[in-house]
Amino acid sequence: MKKKVLATIVSAAMVATLLAGCSGAAAPAAPAAEAAPAATEEAAPAEEAPAEEAAPAADAAAGDLDFKIVVKSFQSSYWQAAVQGVNQAAEELGVKVECNGPNAESDIADQVNMLTNYINGAPSGIGLAACDQSACLDALQMAKDAGIPVVCFDSGCPDAPEGSVLSTIATDNYGAGATAAENLYAALKDSIASATAPVRIGEVNQESTSESITQRGLGFIDKFSELASADGKKVAVVGNEFYVNGAKDKGDEASADIIIEVAVPAQTTVELCATEASAIMNKSDVLGIFGSNQVAAEGILSANENLNKLGTEAGKDILAAGFDAGTVIKQAIKDGKMFGAVTQSPLAMGKTTVETLYKIANGETVSDIATDGYWYDNSNMDAPDIAPNLYD
Amino acid sequence: MEKKKVPAKIFKQEVIVFLVVIALLIFFCVASPDFRKYTTILTIMDYSYYIVLMAIGVAFPLITGGVDLSIGTGLVCYSLAGGYLIMFKGWPTGLAMIVSILFGLAIGTLNGILIGVMDLPPFLGTLCTCMITRGLGSICSKNTGISWPTTGQPGSWFRSIFKYETAGGTKIPLGFLWVLLLAIIMHFVLNHTKIGRYTIAIGSNKEAAILSGINVKFYHIMAYTISGLFAALASIAYSAVFKTVLPGTGAGFELEAIGGAIIGGVSATGGAGSIIGTFIGVFVICLLKTGLPFIGLQANWQQIVTGLVLIGSVMVDIIKKKREAKK
Repeated sequence: MKKKVLATIVSAAMVATLLAGCSGAAAPAAPAAEAAPAATEEAAPAEEAPAEEAAPAADAAAGDLDFKIVVKSFQSSYWQAAVQGVNQAAEELGVKVECNGPNAESDIADQVNMLTNYINGAPSGIGLAACDQSACLDALQMAKDAGIPVVCFDSGCPDAPEGSVLSTIATDNYGAGATAAENLYAALKDSIASATAPVRIGEVNQESTSESITQRGLGFIDKFSELASADGKKVAVVGNEFYVNGAKDKGDEASADIIIEVAVPAQTTVELCATEASAIMNKSDVLGIFGSNQVAAEGILSANENLNKLGTEAGKDILAAGFDAGTVIKQAIKDGKMFGAVTQSPLAMGKTTVETLYKIANGETVSDIATDGYWYDNSNMDAPDIAPNLYD
Repeated sequence: MEKKKVPAKIFKQEVIVFLVVIALLIFFCVASPDFRKYTTILTIMDYSYYIVLMAIGVAFPLITGGVDLSIGTGLVCYSLAGGYLIMFKGWPTGLAMIVSILFGLAIGTLNGILIGVMDLPPFLGTLCTCMITRGLGSICSKNTGISWPTTGQPGSWFRSIFKYETAGGTKIPLGFLWVLLLAIIMHFVLNHTKIGRYTIAIGSNKEAAILSGINVKFYHIMAYTISGLFAALASIAYSAVFKTVLPGTGAGFELEAIGGAIIGGVSATGGAGSIIGTFIGVFVICLLKTGLPFIGLQANWQQIVTGLVLIGSVMVDIIKKKREAKK
């Protein structure tokens, strides 16, 4: 009996802890909501200031402009690269910038707080990489009321009040996938042209649900098909239904010269990506394979541990293209195991953000900008415009 | 009397499962020419070590009539903790491994205390530690993926424990020897030592075990400690085979291990089981996992097939029990 009481207490305590854990996550949202109206009051006197400033800002000397940049955090080298880009542009344009960001990308309330503080300071413009799509909406309304232009980068705020966000600068994932296809196709063109039997190109995507991954996957498929068709080859897409149906032209497997086989594991783990990759790489007609993010690319490299088919040197069967950076992928590209990869461009994103804010301050109209994915391989990894984008 | 009966019954199950493994091998070899390669064996071996190790460990809680759901997320957590020390603190690989193993032993013992002493239902108790280890793993690694030293880097010697590369470049799945050895040792432990026999006793009739003066609490804790230890060993195997360990993953690994153990003849209701059977049973799961993509089955179908195979093997267990009851 005693034991049962004890067990009940312990169970209750555990459940309580779990609940506390859950509410802990929800709690930070509350102060954010409170902070917003409080800040609005303070913002009231500031409202006049930017209104007056807005006109002279148009032809102001660059030195008078001061921009505030709010990043998601300084946690990863990805953001450090973005800040580097911000500072580069500031130096080139001769404007003042100040970067700040919360400790972790999940500290949403802290970020909103930083943003409202910046708005109260009435800067010439604000660059924002929002941690949360909706948490910043009140603050964006404030910025709009105060006449402070906001540019979103890395991640957009689709529901932002009309006219508050003047430009969104984010990676064009479809285009980034196409970049991988262009480079892989160029390298394989001769082997494809001289092939007597149908050849196979693999693609491993960690899932078929997120916007970024699916766009990259489809971008690769469509571009590869387009380039091959231009050379008179017939292409068919087989494998995962989502990607087969999403492709512009899924073709007919029986008569195809090139078969693009798409695999998606049941869960997004490295070992399942590796299993899917090795099933494709084991086929004797495979010439190339693409992994559309870090996990998928590392899965391909894991599969190669046993198969030993990947490589850029002669005698290796398969050329692999990856996505993003990280030590494992960078090392594989250095060693020639992986042909190359597409990295997103945090550096360029940071740079473009400041340039766009500068344009706005000078009265130019701006629109959304999709930044490119950059192709990198053994030859240009150390190039000054690539190296800062290759975070560990 | 009872003692003699049990191994004889289990032995049959081992043979059946072994035949299933052979049949699957033949089926895949016939169905896919790409499957008939040495590298496929290497791949199956690579992907089996961590599941085999988890399965050997989890067989003990299963035989007590419980379950350990924390081994999957635990595996990732121990691996992240050890890998973090190597990557960011410059610890030698050996020392980091010891930390991983101690971590596993600690979580295993905690499970044992929750279930054996505080009488929490095993499902609930280990579900809690499953959540805790998942969170701890992310905290240990500061939310980034961790790579243990890769081949060629200093400290990568531990990878050759599992896969030895000869001077000629031939890769030998050495890990198979070690997991087989561990399976034989634990088979002996289960059947011929106090820990093992009392584990079975707790599973077949806990009240009787208490009445006959067995320190049930202690042996109950031991069963979960063994499970934690083997989850930690599995974490080293996982780190050695795969290039990166990602925080937040691991949930679901335990189901493959539990599935393997049950296919191998561990009774779903406790009280009986075989470690050698478990060892072979895991290969049914691994063969399905590795082989089905070769015959062009999509990932979702692989899971369905594995699920069906599990139902089949549990049904065999139930039918056997019913027949025995009739006798």
